[in-house]
Amino acid sequence: MWLVYKKELLEILRDKKTLIFSILLPTLIFPVLFFAIGKFTASKTEEAENKEIKVAFVNSITLPGFEDLFTREKGFIKVELESDDYKAAILDKKVDYIFHVPAGVSLPAESRKQEVLKVYSKESTRLDNILGKRVDDVVDAFNNTQRMELGRNFDLTTDNVKAFNKPILIEENNFASQREKTGEFAGPLLAYLLIALAVSGAMYPALELGVGEKERGTLETLLLTPMSKGQIVMAKFGVIFTASFFTVVVTLLSYLFWVWIFSFFAMDSSVAADPDSLTGKQSGGGLDFLSNISSLDLLLVAVLLVPLTSIFASIMLSASIYAKNMKEAQAYMSPIFMIGFMPVIVAFVPGMELNVKTAMIPVTNVALAMKDLIKGTVDYGLITILLISTAVLAGGLLYWTTVFFKKEKVLFRS
Amino acid sequence: MIEIKDLAKTFAYDKKEAKKKKGKTVSDPREGEGVFHAVKNVSFSCNAGEVLGLLGPNGAGKTTTLRMLSTALEPTAGQILINGHDVTKEPRYAQKQIGFLSGKTGLYHRLSVRENVAYFGRMHGLSRQQIDERIEKIFTMLDMHSFAGKRADDLSTGMMQRASIARAVIHEPKVLVFDEPTTGLDVISAKTVLDFIQSYKGSEMSVIFSTHHLHEVEKLCDRVCLIDLGETKFFGPTDEFAASTASGSLYDAFLASVNNKKEVA
Repeated sequence: MWLVYKKELLEILRDKKTLIFSILLPTLIFPVLFFAIGKFTASKTEEAENKEIKVAFVNSITLPGFEDLFTREKGFIKVELESDDYKAAILDKKVDYIFHVPAGVSLPAESRKQEVLKVYSKESTRLDNILGKRVDDVVDAFNNTQRMELGRNFDLTTDNVKAFNKPILIEENNFASQREKTGEFAGPLLAYLLIALAVSGAMYPALELGVGEKERGTLETLLLTPMSKGQIVMAKFGVIFTASFFTVVVTLLSYLFWVWIFSFFAMDSSVAADPDSLTGKQSGGGLDFLSNISSLDLLLVAVLLVPLTSIFASIMLSASIYAKNMKEAQAYMSPIFMIGFMPVIVAFVPGMELNVKTAMIPVTNVALAMKDLIKGTVDYGLITILLISTAVLAGGLLYWTTVFFKKEKVLFRS
Repeated sequence: MIEIKDLAKTFAYDKKEAKKKKGKTVSDPREGEGVFHAVKNVSFSCNAGEVLGLLGPNGAGKTTTLRMLSTALEPTAGQILINGHDVTKEPRYAQKQIGFLSGKTGLYHRLSVRENVAYFGRMHGLSRQQIDERIEKIFTMLDMHSFAGKRADDLSTGMMQRASIARAVIHEPKVLVFDEPTTGLDVISAKTVLDFIQSYKGSEMSVIFSTHHLHEVEKLCDRVCLIDLGETKFFGPTDEFAASTASGSLYDAFLASVNNKKEVA
């Protein structure tokens, strides 16, 4: 056994490509890539932490010092509201947070009871959470000053105690829809899943139709027919694309079906448990969420996968045709999968959003757009830019694959 | 008729390979500065009804020559004419005229024998009716009806080679190229292949037959072309080649004609 072990190890160590792809990539290149992503995430988080937050105050005169705490804090800018329509002001991004002090509210140190403030915002992204945390920090700071004041007074009632613990209670009013909030988590999950399936769905047929044909000797046979190399490569690309796209679409449909089934049963059991809740308002969970996603948005998710799967089909077909044998081709596929997936990870760094710039970053743009489509916050103009930029890249890669396929050095590489 | 005149093919080394070769003692005179002249000067012809034996040691340039003839590779210099048509200028014409079979050309394993052959018929633009008629004829000739419905991955080596022949001739080419077709075959299967080649002698077809088995050349070939180190060393009647040594044996003639008695590393 030892003899066989030594021989096998020697062969592997003499296979430079295996060494590069199984040792050098995981030990050197991937850590560098992960470090780069980590740095990018940190810079984006820092950017979010320093982002200017627009705050507005309504009736805050009864809470002296509250506004001042915000205006003194770096990164907050006070804006005046033009109307009483808080929702419109927030959705139009004229203001990020509105603090509404209800009538009768005064400083807890004076009223000796907990006071309730209303805050209006729209928190649906991880960036919003970071911003929200900063707002909470300022409110906490205010609470601390009030607690200090209250500490001087020992004549405490229950209200006094509550007031002492949390002098100001914030009642949050989030204008983000349930779809946006659920989509913030479901969107990236779906993007991860579909993009991973698109890549893996292209892998097996690419191996079969490229290096597999080379190894079986059928590629040479095919080259001797009157069909042009361009036609052959286009046909091969077509099969890889079809297989990849089919895998993704079938999976997407299957997930939708199962979400529907589970939601149906979940709703059924909740109705059984609580017969009085037949108001039609009870949550159907995923079903409610799905019913909010329009057919156009789902169709666009599928459309986004067309140029994306084309990109991976071209890259994998090129790698497969270039490889001398199946082993070499498989060594190429893992890094393609890993490197191809990095832009998806980048897409979900807090603060990354679909804009004109990110709409042109391959793979990242599709992941971001999928998330926005699921959340219902997509800008259809950006989808057009995305589709054009990705289609140009996919077309370019396909052209390059065709040129690559015509090279004698690639076809008869030995 | 096939005419090959002053054919040459040069491959450029990639940077890594060129670096590896630099400073090392040249073991093959075909190696140049960053390039390898796989075929330097090959000329021969093959008439209709004739079987031409293509001989040469491993690495002599036979397969490269045949790949140029079949349009898979483009010549660096020289000319290949099939019935007067230049292969480089009219590759589609050449592809329709050539049937190519080597030990390396394979079949699609998940297709049946009939499906494999029909597929290549379609690739050559034949109608379904033409394909059915030709399959019937060829399968009878090669005794293939018993395994016509079998998937290629279920075939024995001999069956596979017969199916490959059927695939190569379905479009009724005027030129048949066999590159070491009997390598790895048992005696019975090899005989089937040789009988098939023999059946084309005196027909309208030109047959080029590359092999290392000199007894097959003796049996089948009217003329031979010996290639060594990328150049034609002999081209003429088989008898004349054998008579070039005192023993009159093809084996001795072959050994006497090749420069490099050792296999190229």
